[in-house]
Amino acid sequence: MAGASWDTSRYLSLFAGEASEHLEALGKDVVRLEQGATVALVDSMFRHAHSVKGMASSMAFEATAKLAHRLEDLLDTLRADVAKVNQAVADVILQTVDALSAHVKAATQSQPLPDSTALVVRLSELNAGLKGVPPPPVSAPPPPPVPEAAAPPAASPSGVVAVDAAAPPRFALKLKINPASNQPGVRGFLAYKRLTTLGNVFELKPPLDDIKAGRVPQGAVTLELETDQSEESITRTMRTVADVELESIGLVQRAPPPPPPGAEADRVVGQEPARTIRVRTELMDQFLDHAGELLLATARVRQIARGMPEALRPPLDESVDRLHLLVKGLHDKVMQARMTPLALITDRLPRAARDIARRRSRDVELVITGEDIELDRAIVDELADPVLHLLRNAIDHGVEPAEVRKAAGKPPKGKVALSVTRQRDRVVLELSDDGRGIDVERLKVLVVERGLMTPEQVRGLSERETLMLVCLPGLSTATDVTDISGRGVGMDAVKRVVEAVGGSLEIETRAGRGTTFRLAVPLTVAMVNLLLVGVGDEVYGLPIGKVSGVVETARGRLALSQSAPVLQWGQSVLPVHELSSLLEVPAGPASAVASPFVVVDSDEGRVALAVDRLLGQEEVVLKALARPLDLVPGLAGVTILGNGRPVFILDVARLVTA
Amino acid sequence: MLFRLEKDRYALPLSAIREVIVAPDTWTRVPRAPRAVRGVINLRGRVVPVVDLRELLDVPGAPTSTPGRVVLLDRGRRELGLLISDVDGIESIEKVGPPAPKASLAVKGLARLGALPVTVLDPDALDATVARAFTTK
Repeated sequence: MAGASWDTSRYLSLFAGEASEHLEALGKDVVRLEQGATVALVDSMFRHAHSVKGMASSMAFEATAKLAHRLEDLLDTLRADVAKVNQAVADVILQTVDALSAHVKAATQSQPLPDSTALVVRLSELNAGLKGVPPPPVSAPPPPPVPEAAAPPAASPSGVVAVDAAAPPRFALKLKINPASNQPGVRGFLAYKRLTTLGNVFELKPPLDDIKAGRVPQGAVTLELETDQSEESITRTMRTVADVELESIGLVQRAPPPPPPGAEADRVVGQEPARTIRVRTELMDQFLDHAGELLLATARVRQIARGMPEALRPPLDESVDRLHLLVKGLHDKVMQARMTPLALITDRLPRAARDIARRRSRDVELVITGEDIELDRAIVDELADPVLHLLRNAIDHGVEPAEVRKAAGKPPKGKVALSVTRQRDRVVLELSDDGRGIDVERLKVLVVERGLMTPEQVRGLSERETLMLVCLPGLSTATDVTDISGRGVGMDAVKRVVEAVGGSLEIETRAGRGTTFRLAVPLTVAMVNLLLVGVGDEVYGLPIGKVSGVVETARGRLALSQSAPVLQWGQSVLPVHELSSLLEVPAGPASAVASPFVVVDSDEGRVALAVDRLLGQEEVVLKALARPLDLVPGLAGVTILGNGRPVFILDVARLVTA
Repeated sequence: MLFRLEKDRYALPLSAIREVIVAPDTWTRVPRAPRAVRGVINLRGRVVPVVDLRELLDVPGAPTSTPGRVVLLDRGRRELGLLISDVDGIESIEKVGPPAPKASLAVKGLARLGALPVTVLDPDALDATVARAFTTK
């Protein structure tokens, strides 16, 4: 690759990372542009293009810099008159973003940069056309900057008397952070960040550092926002921040004196960069591994200390306690450092939705909420493909063409919503469309036709089970793509990935009304709360989240249903499974008096597991299963107890079915 | 490295072996595992599956009696333990002939060391055989 000496190649990965981020943001902006162009939006796009240009030229990628430069020129023209934005312009911008991404990719792989001369010409022509002057020859230096056209005042809210005509109106805002929020600091900071995308923030109280640290008395935040945006758009923006409520908003009657020189430093600058460093994810994984092993090692030391002479115990115990606290603190910090907002994957969805919808000639609106919720980086990475896949399915097979929708009395524009919510120790992603829904009867027919199940088997399925048939691997290989079999493409992969990270998948559908896919995944991969149970000589861990309760009764006193034992549980009767026979391990001698039955939620619904002993609850570090242990169905992971004993953690959801 | 399963002599390339340890008295059983899997052990904080080599290779006779030795194969970021009777030593083997007709796929071939026949095993094929045992169970 030309231009990349040893020196610049050191910065190549940094360049690739940052340029890609800007391009992704730019792509997202283009999609928003089509919903309505504002000066602020074009401005943001301009800044991204500008950054890419700067980075590319510092890396000596001349062709990339040139392309970015032309894009910057075009955006500069548009910034002066956003009314000039139309579909054709948006298409060219998107094309350019794609081309720039291809450049970055080629640069990363040390490949020659793609030729984009034609696009450079196209951009120049378009820009010239918009400005009404003939295009300059391509090889000529960039055109002299147009005289700075004052941005036309954006539609100001009615009844506004702008005191200072030169500056945009200023609003006073009162925010309230939900006191029940887990991370008031993060919420407050997010709200602040959102507002800075609209304009400049002044008079922020409490100061930003206090907000970040969560020091927000009564959750009340006040600030002033100088912006071209309307009051309504501010309100709308604030609604996208979970756990933060906009209590009041009003226009500030400003005292006219312009800020004296130097006052600039006092104001809270809109784009204050968070102080961060980039760390390779592989390194983060190793941090976590080591922190986890440290926890296990500490538990082992504690166990050994129990066998020491009484006189040695107090100082030893105290040291181990202290060590444990430190190691736990370290582990928590490592886990925290791994937390990444889902925005990492949802940010590219609007763009993807647009592309898919255009290819299929559908008109679709994608609404994403809750993308600021954070998850362990490893889980976020795993979810990228499944979520994109579900989105593609929703648009390809869920949302109907506009004519069909009109005939059905629906609005012609389809709506796809991705909502992310936090529910206890899980994050739930719901992707729903308002399309035609899944035809359950046809699905059954198809499964039988493909020879995946017998008609008898299909008849015995509950509705929930029937819907899960879309995840059958056989359906995805269907060659004739019907509406239903198309649904099956890759759904088995989606289910597999979600379950591999310890999550679950549910499907709901209503004929003619739409389909919802619900992915519930754990927040973190590493720590899991277990109920330890004994079976014969063995010990197993059941994730507490899946345990509904425990009943003690004698095995001989169980009722029988069709000669299989069942357990009375509240109003319902649950099938009983011997854990020893499910796991194919020898059981201990059955107690004649009473044995514990653990009631758990499996894929088959609620079931009772008969075990020999309950050994208590423990929070452990979950280790992933390495080959060949990952081939065993029904195991979720493994851990090592304080006594050094390896203990398998059961995948309760699949234990009974697998 | 030469080792024995009861009286039979086997060999594995030294480069494939991470270490050899004394087999523990107690095992954590692996649920739903093929018969050859003896269990998992805690090796300095790592959980390592151990397979009874005699069962894996379908060598007739009683399961390997403990205490035996566990050979830990180096499989990159993980290990696979093989339960054997004892280690004989290290020798260099020059020529490996074709395996016996009905031998397991994990057998690379037969060699001669002095007057005694030695079965040479292939570590990659051993690993694959274990994985296959899990999937076809």
